[in-house]
Amino acid sequence: MTGSPENEIYICRCEEVTREEILAAIADGATTVKGVKIRTEAGMGLCQGRTCRRLISQMLARTRPPSDIYPPTIRTPVRTAKIREYTNGEDDL
Amino acid sequence: MSMTADAAIIGGGVIGASIAYRLAKAGKKVVLCERYDFAAGATGSCDQCVFLQSKNPGIHLKLALDSSAIFQDLSKELDYTIDYFKHGGMITIENEMEMAVMSDFAEKQKKIGLDVEIISRAEAAKRQRGLAGHLLGCTYSPQDGHVNPFKLTLGFVKAAQKHGALILIDAEVFGFKLESGRIKGIKTSKGDVEAGVTVLAAGAWSPVLAKTLDLALPIKPRRGQIVITEPVAPYVTGNLLSGQYIVAKYHPEILADSKSLAVRLGVGLSLTQTSKGDILIGATREFAGYDLRNTREAIREILKNASRLVPGLEDLHVIRVMAGLRPYTPDGLPLVGFVKDREGLFIAAGHEGDGIALSAITGVIARGLICDGKAYTDVSALDPNRFDA
Repeated sequence: MTGSPENEIYICRCEEVTREEILAAIADGATTVKGVKIRTEAGMGLCQGRTCRRLISQMLARTRPPSDIYPPTIRTPVRTAKIREYTNGEDDL
Repeated sequence: MSMTADAAIIGGGVIGASIAYRLAKAGKKVVLCERYDFAAGATGSCDQCVFLQSKNPGIHLKLALDSSAIFQDLSKELDYTIDYFKHGGMITIENEMEMAVMSDFAEKQKKIGLDVEIISRAEAAKRQRGLAGHLLGCTYSPQDGHVNPFKLTLGFVKAAQKHGALILIDAEVFGFKLESGRIKGIKTSKGDVEAGVTVLAAGAWSPVLAKTLDLALPIKPRRGQIVITEPVAPYVTGNLLSGQYIVAKYHPEILADSKSLAVRLGVGLSLTQTSKGDILIGATREFAGYDLRNTREAIREILKNASRLVPGLEDLHVIRVMAGLRPYTPDGLPLVGFVKDREGLFIAAGHEGDGIALSAITGVIARGLICDGKAYTDVSALDPNRFDA
């Protein structure tokens, strides 16, 4: 696996996680996008997996049926937001 | 598939992983079953703190100190980098009431062996940028630290595997195997495990499984919501907590009449920064059943509280929030030990917000009780049967 140029591609750009590292996490037993995240930190960066969760899902789908793969939890915010934006709001928001 | 083991462990959070490692290292045949994946529950949605100053002076603090001593060399012991750092920590003091509570708390903690003192606001400001002007001061201890909860859990798991433990993920536990009243293992989606000892380490979900044995555990899920910022250059020095957390946890009577939303949600500051630079801002302590959602009102209250105490945070960006269910017990101490009248069942759950900090010592205590019939110190305060009428 090592040495192949395509394995050096960054799947998660924010956390600089390569294809090789994702494959290693799947080989280690990860069966979900979250499982890959726990092992590699892919998806934990600034964009919160907006690009890599699809790529990682595809890679997982080669090892088990897509119907068996849990999607990752998407949580607020929908885009990065300044703390001030939360604290300046109306109290009955 | 049917398996046999000396110990079947339910739960792949930090507590189950720590116990799996200690038992496997002691030569026991271990099978651990985890419903989703490692650190998928409260372990993976926490504030990473190994905070000693927040522990009640007594057995609670003593166990945290002993746990902290294990963390010191744990990367080497596990041959796995867990990112444990002892950068010290502070607790903010905002008013005379908190000053009185924290002074008394710190005095008692010193007697247990914690290095802690009250420092002025000016001294605190040298350690932490951006602190609010109205603070009267802070407590400070050089012994507080933090650890990467994912790496810690994986470190325990990998080391347990090296000692022969079988670790199953995606393995849901449906119930227990019973034989003439004795618990003889577990039934899981990956087969039955027959075991001499069954260790229930399912955190806030432990009562759900215990119920199948007509066993009512005094554990309740308590939701903790945490906000995560973009990665930034080092900003938070060590860990910062607020005195309101200590007051709410150990002197709830002082706040009993408060109508404030923040008090109702159990908001107390917990501030720490990961090695990558993200700042974790916590947290709430809410009884919301098994609801794992984040709520707008809680996120706002957490951030209002944090920027009141550390106004310097206000220009940072939020990238994510998370929520975990901390396993609450009525006296703030976990349940660790064999369960009376349920022969073969051992429980290690109910650490509430102390799971990471107490994980290392919980594994050692469990190994002592299971392998030798006694722990290294008197742990009767953790007896899971202590609430029995």
